[in-house]
Amino acid sequence: MTTTRTGTLGRTPYYVLTGGLAIIFLFPLLWSLAASVSPQASTGQVNGFGLGNYTTLFNYGAGLAQFLLNSAYVALFTVAITLAVSTLGGYAFARFRFPGRDALFLLTLSILMVPYATLLIPLYVLLNGLGLQNSLIGLSLVLAMFQLPFATYMMRISFEAVPRELEESALVDGCGTFSVLWRILLPSVRPGLITVGLFAFLAAWSDFFAPLILLTDSAKQTLPLAVANLRQQTMGAIDYGATEAGVVVMAVPCLILFLLLQRYYVRGFMSGAVKG
Amino acid sequence: MTPATPDHRAAPAAWWRLTWWRYRQLMGVAYAAPTVFFVAVFFITPLLLVARMSLSSWPLLTGNGGLNFPKNYLSIWKNALFGPAVVFTIEYTLIVTVLLIGLGLGLALLVQERGRWVDMLRTVILLPVSLGLAAASLLFWGFYSPSIGPINPILEQLGLIHDPISFLGTSLSALLSTSFLIVWKYTGLYMLILLVGLQAIPDDLFEAAALDGASRIQVFRHITLPLLRPSLALALILCVTGSLLAFDQFYILTKGAPDNSTVTVVQLIYREAFQKQNLGTSAAISIMVLVALLVLNTVQFRYLRSSEPGLKR
Amino acid sequence: MTTPRDGLAVLGPALAFALLMSNYVCSSKAQIKPEAFPLAALAAGPATYGVDDGTHITLWSRAATQARADALVKAYNATHKNHIDATYVPTDDYQTKVGAAAAAGGLPDLFSADVVFMPNWTSAGLFTDITDKIATLPFAANIAQGAINVSTWKGRKYGLPFVVDLSVWMYNKKLFKAAGLDPNKPPTTLAEFAADARAVQKLGGNVHGTFFGGDCGGCEVFTWFPIAWADGETVMNPEGTESHLNSAENKGIYATFRSLVEDGTALMPDTKTETGPTWTGYFPKGNIGIMPMPASLQGMANSSLADADIGVTPIAGLKGGQATLVGGDAIGISRDSKVANAAWNFLAWMVSDEAQIEVVAKGGNVLARPDLANNKYSAADPRLVIFNTVAAKGQTPFAKAFGATFNDPQGPWLVLLRDAVFGDASKIDADNAAINASLNP
Repeated sequence: MTTTRTGTLGRTPYYVLTGGLAIIFLFPLLWSLAASVSPQASTGQVNGFGLGNYTTLFNYGAGLAQFLLNSAYVALFTVAITLAVSTLGGYAFARFRFPGRDALFLLTLSILMVPYATLLIPLYVLLNGLGLQNSLIGLSLVLAMFQLPFATYMMRISFEAVPRELEESALVDGCGTFSVLWRILLPSVRPGLITVGLFAFLAAWSDFFAPLILLTDSAKQTLPLAVANLRQQTMGAIDYGATEAGVVVMAVPCLILFLLLQRYYVRGFMSGAVKG
Repeated sequence: MTPATPDHRAAPAAWWRLTWWRYRQLMGVAYAAPTVFFVAVFFITPLLLVARMSLSSWPLLTGNGGLNFPKNYLSIWKNALFGPAVVFTIEYTLIVTVLLIGLGLGLALLVQERGRWVDMLRTVILLPVSLGLAAASLLFWGFYSPSIGPINPILEQLGLIHDPISFLGTSLSALLSTSFLIVWKYTGLYMLILLVGLQAIPDDLFEAAALDGASRIQVFRHITLPLLRPSLALALILCVTGSLLAFDQFYILTKGAPDNSTVTVVQLIYREAFQKQNLGTSAAISIMVLVALLVLNTVQFRYLRSSEPGLKR
Repeated sequence: MTTPRDGLAVLGPALAFALLMSNYVCSSKAQIKPEAFPLAALAAGPATYGVDDGTHITLWSRAATQARADALVKAYNATHKNHIDATYVPTDDYQTKVGAAAAAGGLPDLFSADVVFMPNWTSAGLFTDITDKIATLPFAANIAQGAINVSTWKGRKYGLPFVVDLSVWMYNKKLFKAAGLDPNKPPTTLAEFAADARAVQKLGGNVHGTFFGGDCGGCEVFTWFPIAWADGETVMNPEGTESHLNSAENKGIYATFRSLVEDGTALMPDTKTETGPTWTGYFPKGNIGIMPMPASLQGMANSSLADADIGVTPIAGLKGGQATLVGGDAIGISRDSKVANAAWNFLAWMVSDEAQIEVVAKGGNVLARPDLANNKYSAADPRLVIFNTVAAKGQTPFAKAFGATFNDPQGPWLVLLRDAVFGDASKIDADNAAINASLNP
């Protein structure tokens, strides 16, 4: 990190301002936690504080454990596919020149420019054709595709930030490109890998729309789907308590992972610092 | 088989370099192959289908009804909701972009110091980024609701208001409330992007400017901003594209209410497909949005490239 | 004249029919087992009520009616060899999911539909024709016809009632008494409804006369259409291609509600901003005088509203009369199903006496069989009898483009009703033209 460049704002106003900001950012999260255990009419927790809403969540449908498992499976599989494809692709874009390189890169990036709603029905038809309908794997493939732009860009700038000498000396020694990748480059781009993996996990874990359309088995439902269902079980009454409990359960793994891996993704973004 | 050359000592080297070159090309293609596969199968193929749908009559439930170009595209102009949706989407994009980039930059400048307090601050601001957009929207849906939302009770206790504020009740409040959600969720990300850009600016530049007696504002205008351009451009592209394609938050928070004043373009795409059950017109709007974004991003990308001081990509 | 063979031709079926009927009349369970009467089976045709052989059946339904749907599914699974795997989809996304599945050929064996969406889906051929199967049910004529009518397309039937929702007016007897109204004399016209609401409004405090979902097109379809029907008026033509929602009758209805909003009798601003998810949550809070509600007492009584204080009365018109909207879900066998006979087994059981009485009535819900209105469970509570008898006076609106016109938050019906009640009432005729355009895409 570098020394302060902002000059003196005056310590007290600085602390007041930043403290206020911190409160504003934290408040909704803390409130959500509080609301999930607070009493509220027409929920599972009508009187007093307690875990009634979590019980509702736990007992819903195939059970919270099953939904967590499904979400975890989809998230991990998406991470694996995304890492594999984007690492190989990032390496290709960063270190090799081949016909169509720039076009392919721009094409990958342009995935960002197409909204979900547009592609979902054709993807649904496609998965049906491939025999992957109503499967967690099919869902993971689709989610991985949507992660590709960010992931490939990230891995590309990570690889570009590694000094060429490292690679060249290994190549001169007679290593094949794959062992160069595996043994020398990968450790160097670890922050990038972790960043990509983390963002892929977060996106896959919280996705609502794709599972809604692409999954039909209630036993295969992921967590966001179950929470959305829980919201309105009887006409005209919303279970706010269960919704907030659901939000908390969805958020906690994300927050924990984010905190644990903080060092890495900051560095992951930093690899691009050299090139801008 | 060495080709006949005037200088027979150069021949083997050239030949060797050619093979090495080919080899590298082949390896590049090999490594890019999975990406090619994914892009071709899961992106291009569905996109081609969307293009085809936009040229055909394609009811959702009964399938392909044959070509009808340019009927689908013409019907977009006739759609009374289209114009307002475009206007609203652009309004929303402007508000959110200005806020996100402005706040992101300000915070990036603020959190450059070392220290426990700053680390805590940075972490807190980044936390909402980890939440999924659907989860965050659900959170704020409860947060803004008249039944369990905490803001009104607090403000009433403090005596600041008499009647409860309706966060999603008028078109302006719905727009601002949704913008707040997005700013809350994504400021950390843009702060990070700009922070990284700031770190890349060499310290000696600032030291030199300080020695020359430049004021803070001058430093900002003539050193920080120009060198931050690539990061700013990246942030701009991400922000504008993401906002123009906004859907989830409006779907969960407002569903276009009140009185169709918070309908975004992607909501129209969704509505055409699933409410009006017309995949043809839905696809037509999608294609138009895609073309608009391509043009917009090409312009922005050009701007990014032209501003890079001699950096090679 | 008649040969012995002719005689048998007449006698055989007659005997079979008698045997069938005797089984129906003599046993308390109206479950006919064709295999017990081989002759009857021959005469009645093969597999009249489908097959029950341990088949796995998939079923989709909306989250909004999950509790009642699931009660039926669970009871069926407990008493049959077939097993139904039910998936409940978030209500707002149900149309999307079914649409996507239809586009890709992935529909389940059975799926339900909000009755107003049935014309849309039957006309698109998503369901299997069950006209002949229904005809084999001895009690076919006694099934609530509303759901069957909307599930009929070009003379063929595609669905049966799954969960029945009716609209009624519910009033708070405690508040009525406090306002000086007779709690046993509920309003019999819309004018009386407004007057009673105003009387309760005078109590002040956090009590309000009435409430309705003013930003929810579907809510008003459910609760205002019957007012017109009670007067013998119409909201659309029978084919659902022409809207009469700007008729003098309907304008009179809008004017009444407008006046209730303007003088504060309707709880504001909630009435103006309610988009539908919470509209039935207000009455159970115990501080609304009278308002339209779905006909279900399940889980309504609580610490703020005692069961004894919940009064029920049919929706009345401007001049009197009674009507209701027969809503809820209909269910049919999808065109993609490979186990239609097993699926039919469920459908036939679902509308049988046993299921209707032991599952639906026992749960305090409206029956799909109005002829069973006075069963042992309903008779205990006169309000349930009101529910079931008013069903006979109910209608279900029919339109192919119903969802996009009336339920869509961006649709033209919501624009009209909001102009009529909150905005510029002179726009009603123009708004009605937009509805007509939407009904004829």
